[in-house]
Amino acid sequence: MLTIRNLHARVDGKEILKGLDLEVKGGEVHAIMGPNGAGKSTLGNVLAGREGYEVTQGEVIFKGRNLLEMEPEERACEGVFLAFQYPVEIPGVNNTYFLRAALNAQRKYRGEDILDSAGFLRLVRDKLKILQIGDELLRRAVNEGFSGGEKKRNEIFQMAVLEPQLAILDETDSGLDIDALKTVASGVNSLRSPDRAMILVTHYQRLLDYIVPDKVHVLANGRLVATGGAELALKLEDQGYAWLDDGGIAPLGADQQEQVASP
Amino acid sequence: MNSLSVQIPATDSAGQQPAWLRELKHDGAEQFRASGLPTRKDEAWKYTPLGALRLDDVRMAAGESAAGRTAMADPFAAAGLRVDLLSGRVLEINGEMPAGVSVVPLHEALAGASADLRSLLESLPASGSAHAFTALNTATLERGVLIRVGAGGDAGRILLNYSSAAAETPSLFNTRICILLGAGAGLELVEQYQSAKGSDDTGNVVMQAVLDEGACLSHVRLQQEPGSAGLITRTEISQGADSEYSYYGFDLGGGFVRHDLHSTLAGAGASAHFNGAYLVDGNRLVDNHVKVDHAAPGCVSEQVFRGVAGGGGKAVFNTAVCVHPGADGTEALQSNANILLSARAEIDAKPEFEIYADEVVASHGATVGQLDEQAVFYLRSRGLNEDEARQLLITAFCRSVSDRLTDPAMAEAISARLLEAQPRQ
Repeated sequence: MLTIRNLHARVDGKEILKGLDLEVKGGEVHAIMGPNGAGKSTLGNVLAGREGYEVTQGEVIFKGRNLLEMEPEERACEGVFLAFQYPVEIPGVNNTYFLRAALNAQRKYRGEDILDSAGFLRLVRDKLKILQIGDELLRRAVNEGFSGGEKKRNEIFQMAVLEPQLAILDETDSGLDIDALKTVASGVNSLRSPDRAMILVTHYQRLLDYIVPDKVHVLANGRLVATGGAELALKLEDQGYAWLDDGGIAPLGADQQEQVASP
Repeated sequence: MNSLSVQIPATDSAGQQPAWLRELKHDGAEQFRASGLPTRKDEAWKYTPLGALRLDDVRMAAGESAAGRTAMADPFAAAGLRVDLLSGRVLEINGEMPAGVSVVPLHEALAGASADLRSLLESLPASGSAHAFTALNTATLERGVLIRVGAGGDAGRILLNYSSAAAETPSLFNTRICILLGAGAGLELVEQYQSAKGSDDTGNVVMQAVLDEGACLSHVRLQQEPGSAGLITRTEISQGADSEYSYYGFDLGGGFVRHDLHSTLAGAGASAHFNGAYLVDGNRLVDNHVKVDHAAPGCVSEQVFRGVAGGGGKAVFNTAVCVHPGADGTEALQSNANILLSARAEIDAKPEFEIYADEVVASHGATVGQLDEQAVFYLRSRGLNEDEARQLLITAFCRSVSDRLTDPAMAEAISARLLEAQPRQ
């Protein structure tokens, strides 16, 4: 579904991604972990098409097409979804109106019927329950005055409604207490499906107790330096990221070791 | 420098005019001749050069016939009384008149002028070049409407529908709207300005309203003139004790638009709420000048204005609040936020306060910024294209004004107009 080859990207003239390779297949959940400043959020923003992120080398192929040539809205309509680390507050725009406009823009792109507000409400009702979101939150302006947890739940709710094929969750766990984390995780789990891939970008292993990934990658200094199964996250939890600076990862058990690249 | 030589036409009403009216009009004409039109040396017209109005080839509107009338959709289906005005002249008054309410063309009211109408007309200051358009309006007093709601009466909604036809020669028309609300009376006035496409007339509209004790006036103005048309309006409100005035102005069109809006809070406990949104692009100019005089204790005034300027559009927002000696316990709030969509667009925002009383709560904020690019990206990342994203944000910005309307149906109708009137970048 997604192939990233030798991706180099700059922000404000500074190279952040320095040759990143990643292959994600439909149905897979990948976790990308790494210390602050490693380039985790840059990867999400490059994939979503945010201005100011300049790709200098490499390619990103999504469903056989060059993702980097598409406008952000075209990426969204093709099925790419970024759950923002810091969801943006939009005063004056009602959450329901916003989400219906987004869904209809995507439906129009795919040649499907536009949903009226009754049809839209029927569609969202079930999804609200999964994320324990009240009707009241739907009526409020997008993210305005939402608590940290509400904002993150709102991101996953949008994902549930838009049903993307590739979802990138950028630090969705940050700022959540344990109950909110469980709610968000169960929402994400309910969206796992064989034709949907997910990339979880996170600093902490905690989220992965609730969303068990198929693969875990370690991003450091702009490249993926280690890849393993879910157990790699536990090792990171145990050893931290300090070993990255020592030039190598402590030996993994033979059953855990899939691939270890030197940084 | 404008060199408008206005031939003030002989009255076009057949009836005899009382002496006081002849004198009033004569004084207006003299004041206009003495002062001339305002120039950029007048502080109140500093950012609003009349040159843009091309007044030199304007003639005073004479007697148009109803033939030039344009078909206008009534945006507010629930309107009660409806008054259609063509070039400021009343064509028709439709609808059922509620008890205690009278709506008559001004020329009829002038013929048998009552003492209160006379004193209302005589009370309006018109000297000095800043008020030249008022003087001109007074000199030509003839067209317009008198709306009177007796004590305790409720007029419901009255719609004033202004239009002017597209003609070969642009003209300047003058009209006067007089509103007298008795104690405890209520009126919801809706003004709609929507002239024929291509009309390059300029309206000079003066509204005077007196709110007796406890009266309540809600005033909605939806201005969607074509970019070729000009509009100069002055709204003068005089408020008695515990009266309430609420203004909701939406300047979505017009090539050259100036609105002077002034309320005098003369009785204790009165309140005035001014809400406005203005959208400009192309070479259009919209100038709102709001002034509030707190002349009695315990009054409240509040101003919430939002503006968006794109292209080479220009918007001026000037607000002045004066809290007079003795007006203790005044509360005066001003908030003005603006968005510039292009480097060529211009917004001049200027708040002023003068306070000569005690225990006054006053606050003001004026900002000029750009559209939040983070929000644009957020919307695009969900599938909206860039234009849709910008439109949604601009409409939302202005909705903070339209959502203040108490009638949700009208708020919805106006927010749809806001969306249609999106300024071009």
